[in-house]
Amino acid sequence: MPPTKKTKKTHESINNRLALVMKSGKYTLGYKTVLKSLRSSKGKLIIIANNCPPLRKSEIEYYAMLAKVGVHHYNGNNVDLGTACGKYFRVCCLSIIDPGDAAEIFLTCDIIFLRTTKPFGFK
Amino acid sequence: MGLKSERSVFLIFKISKLLCYSPETLTTNTSTEGEGESEGAKMVKFLKPNKAVIVLQGRYAGRKAVIVRSFDDGTRDRPYGHCLVAGIKKYPSKVIRKDSTKKAARKSRVKCFVKLVNYRHLMPTRYTLDVDLKDVVSGDCLQSKDKKVSAARETKKRFEERFKTGKNKWFFTKLRF
Repeated sequence: MPPTKKTKKTHESINNRLALVMKSGKYTLGYKTVLKSLRSSKGKLIIIANNCPPLRKSEIEYYAMLAKVGVHHYNGNNVDLGTACGKYFRVCCLSIIDPGDAAEIFLTCDIIFLRTTKPFGFK
Repeated sequence: MGLKSERSVFLIFKISKLLCYSPETLTTNTSTEGEGESEGAKMVKFLKPNKAVIVLQGRYAGRKAVIVRSFDDGTRDRPYGHCLVAGIKKYPSKVIRKDSTKKAARKSRVKCFVKLVNYRHLMPTRYTLDVDLKDVVSGDCLQSKDKKVSAARETKKRFEERFKTGKNKWFFTKLRF
């Protein structure tokens, strides 16, 4: 299956939605707080930058799979994600707790829901 | 301290490999109207009793354990999320068909521990172990040494009988890292 080419338009709309969340919603930035929000089942959407270390990425995805929370792989690195959040620092992963006005962020993102059942072939 | 953090990172690496979870099994949820919002609202609390976890720090790092009781908001002594776990200190050895009953009984011995662990020092897994430990491992069993020992002895009995039935094989195999 060829990888879905993300058009510039969707990318911009995600940035717009993120800006809305920053303004009107609740969110946390950073790996430690993302795990904390997943453990307490407060996070609603997790966004991970594309240069996140693969071990950390799979750990966050595993927690999100257990918590049944969607994960969005942002099309940009941590510098870009930080800029999209309006911050002057790098953001590798962030968790949206309350989207505020940007409730449609769930629709624009390519959310990946991980399988909670055991993969075929395993006990 | 650098060595300690490296060890726990390596542990997590091995855990992610061994938990039979591969990124290729991702299912993409193409955004459909309305579905995104309802699925965004669903959140599941997963640090619940009977969840199998792996201890990441401390003397029992790398050991598998089961959550008996969770304190999400903490207590006055521990103002952070933590839980009471009962885990395996010494895993049972591999029993083969050739073994005599005496040898098999000796090999199936399990040594247990009971501990209060911070959520940060646990790696939750997708496995559960429904062994009824609520009456054995109660809130006050860590007050005195003999209560702790008797709680560990009772969980040892329950774990051993679960091991002998052959169920929950993952829980009783040592995590290699």
